[in-house]
Amino acid sequence: MEQKYIVDTTLRDGEQSPGVAFTLKEKVTIAKALDAMGIQRIEAGTPAMGKEECLAFEKIKAVCQNAKIIGWNRMNLSDIQSSINCGADIIHVCVPSSDLLIREKLRKSRTEVLEKLEECADSIHSAHKELTIGLEDASRADWDFITLLIDTAIRLGATTLRFSDTVGIMTPSICKNYISNISSNIDIEVHMHNDLGMAVANSIQGLRSGAKYVDSTLFGIGERAGNCNLEHLLIATIGQMDFGICLDELQWRQERLRPIIFKTHPNNIYRLSI
Amino acid sequence: MVTIIDRTLTTLDTDRIDTQDLNHFCTLLFTCGVTKIELPYALASRLKPLFITEDAGKRIDTDTCFLKQNDDHRQMPIWKLESNEFVEKAILPSQIKNLRNKKIRIVGWEDLITRDYFTIFQELLSNSADTLDLCPSNKMHCATAIALEWILAGGTSVSCAFANYHDFPRLEEVLMGLKLRDPSSFKGDLSVLRQLKVLYEKITSLPISKTKAIIGEDIFKVESGIHVDGVIKNPATYEPFNPKTVGSQREIVLGKHSGQQSVLYKLREQNLSETAAKSILKQIKEGCTQLGRNVSDLELQSLVREVKNDYGTKIYC
Repeated sequence: MEQKYIVDTTLRDGEQSPGVAFTLKEKVTIAKALDAMGIQRIEAGTPAMGKEECLAFEKIKAVCQNAKIIGWNRMNLSDIQSSINCGADIIHVCVPSSDLLIREKLRKSRTEVLEKLEECADSIHSAHKELTIGLEDASRADWDFITLLIDTAIRLGATTLRFSDTVGIMTPSICKNYISNISSNIDIEVHMHNDLGMAVANSIQGLRSGAKYVDSTLFGIGERAGNCNLEHLLIATIGQMDFGICLDELQWRQERLRPIIFKTHPNNIYRLSI
Repeated sequence: MVTIIDRTLTTLDTDRIDTQDLNHFCTLLFTCGVTKIELPYALASRLKPLFITEDAGKRIDTDTCFLKQNDDHRQMPIWKLESNEFVEKAILPSQIKNLRNKKIRIVGWEDLITRDYFTIFQELLSNSADTLDLCPSNKMHCATAIALEWILAGGTSVSCAFANYHDFPRLEEVLMGLKLRDPSSFKGDLSVLRQLKVLYEKITSLPISKTKAIIGEDIFKVESGIHVDGVIKNPATYEPFNPKTVGSQREIVLGKHSGQQSVLYKLREQNLSETAAKSILKQIKEGCTQLGRNVSDLELQSLVREVKNDYGTKIYC
C-alpha cells in the first residue's frame, strides 16, 4: 500500500467555518487527540490572530509528542514573526496565485507577489524554520504563473508545496492534470474544498497523481461546504493507501470531540461581558 | 444530450406526500434540469390526472416508472409516464464486455475513483447497449465525482437523487458541476434549489445539513477576516459561484475570526455607530469563542447599545 500523510487543518481552516470557535483549552484537547491517533502534521491556527492563539501554539507544542505543528501565515513579515515566536515547527506561507486574488484582494502585481515571497522565505530561513508554501486558489490560476511559483518555491528551499482548490471547483480529472504536471523536486500537498461535494474524490485523485500529503479536517468542517473529511477519506481508501491512522480509533476519538466542535445549543444565548 | 434521472421519490416514505406537494416537487425537479423523474407506480397514480398521459401502460418487471416532460411544453398534459425498462447490474468493471441488454443501469462501483476509471469508462462506452445509465453508490463518499466524470468522459445518462439521505450521487452537486463545466449548454434553472430544499424538508421531515454543498443554509456565510476582506472587494474571490444562482444569498457574519473590516461592514449595514468598533470586535471575539457560534444582528445591536452606555457612564462619572 502506498504510504501517504495527513495534514490536519481542523484548528485552522476547520475553525474558519462560520460559528465554529475553540477556546485555548479546546484547541489543545483536539491537537492532543490528533497527535495520539498518528496525524503527522497539525495546522494549529494563525498566530497573527493574537496572544491567545500564540499561547495555544505553545501549549499544543508541549502536549504533542510526534506531530509537527504548522503555523499558517499570510504573505506578511509580521504574521510570520508571530509564527516563529510561538514555536511552530513549520512556517506555512499562503500565496494568492490566481490573478483574481492578486488583483482584486491583494491589489498587487504578480511581480510584487514574487518579491514578497522571497522576503518571507528569507525571514523564515533566518529563524532556521521549515518553510512550506501554499498556492491559494491554484485551481483558478494561470498555469504559467503556477509553474513560476513552483520553481520559485523550490529555489527558496520550501519543503512542501500546497496546491489549493480554494473554492472547490475541481473535478478529479482536472485535479489529475494539474498535480501530475508538478515537478517531482518538491513534496506536494493537496488542499481540497467541498463546494461541489467532491473534496474526498479530488483528494484521492491528487494523492494518486503524486501528492504525498493531503489536508483534511474532523467532520469535514471548513469554509463554506467544508474541507476533505478525514473519516470519509480513510473509508474511501481502505486497502489502497496507508496514512498510518486507524479508522476505528479516529471514529471514537472524533465522536468524543463532537461536543467541542459543534457547541451550538438552543440555550446558548449571547451574554454581554462588558 | 445528457439524460439526468432523479430517483429521490424512490427513496422516500411516499405515504406522507400529498398530491399538491408531489406536483410541486416534480415541477421544481424539471425546472432545475432533471430530464426524467423515477417514481414508484403507486406514487404516479397520485399525480393529478390532468398532468399525465398513461403513455406507458405496458408495466414491466419493475416497481418504478419515469415521469417526463412533453416535448411541446405548451400542450396539456405537460407530463407523461414511461415504463422503466432498465436492467440494473452491479457488475465488476471486468465484466463490462459481457453486457447484452439494451437498456442497462450500472449500480455499485463505489470505489471507482481509486481505480483507472477513465479506461473503464472508455470500455463501457464502446459497448453495444442502447442506453447505459450510471448510478454509482456513495458508500465511499465519491458518487458525485464518479457521476460527473462519467458524463465528462462521454456518458449520456446518469441517475442521482436530491440532498443526502440516500446512496446515490447528489443531484444538486451533479447539476452544478455540469453548469460550471459548460454554462452555455446547461439549460436548467438552479435558482429553484432553495425552494426544492424547503419542500424536501417539509415532505421528509429530514433536516438538510447547514454545510451541505450547494444547498446548505450556512455555505455562503463568511466570517474569517481574510475572506471577508476579499468578498467585500469582489465576492468572486472566495465564492465558487454567485449564491443567487442557487436561490441563496451571501451573508457576512461576526465571530471569533472576524476582523475590523467585518465589524465596520456590519455596523454600516445596520446603520449603527462605528465609534466603538474596536471594543465591539474584542467583545465579539471573546464571546463567540466561549459560545462556539456567531453573533446575530440583534445581539450586535444590543452590544452596540451596551458599549455606548458604558462610554456614556465613563464620560459623566
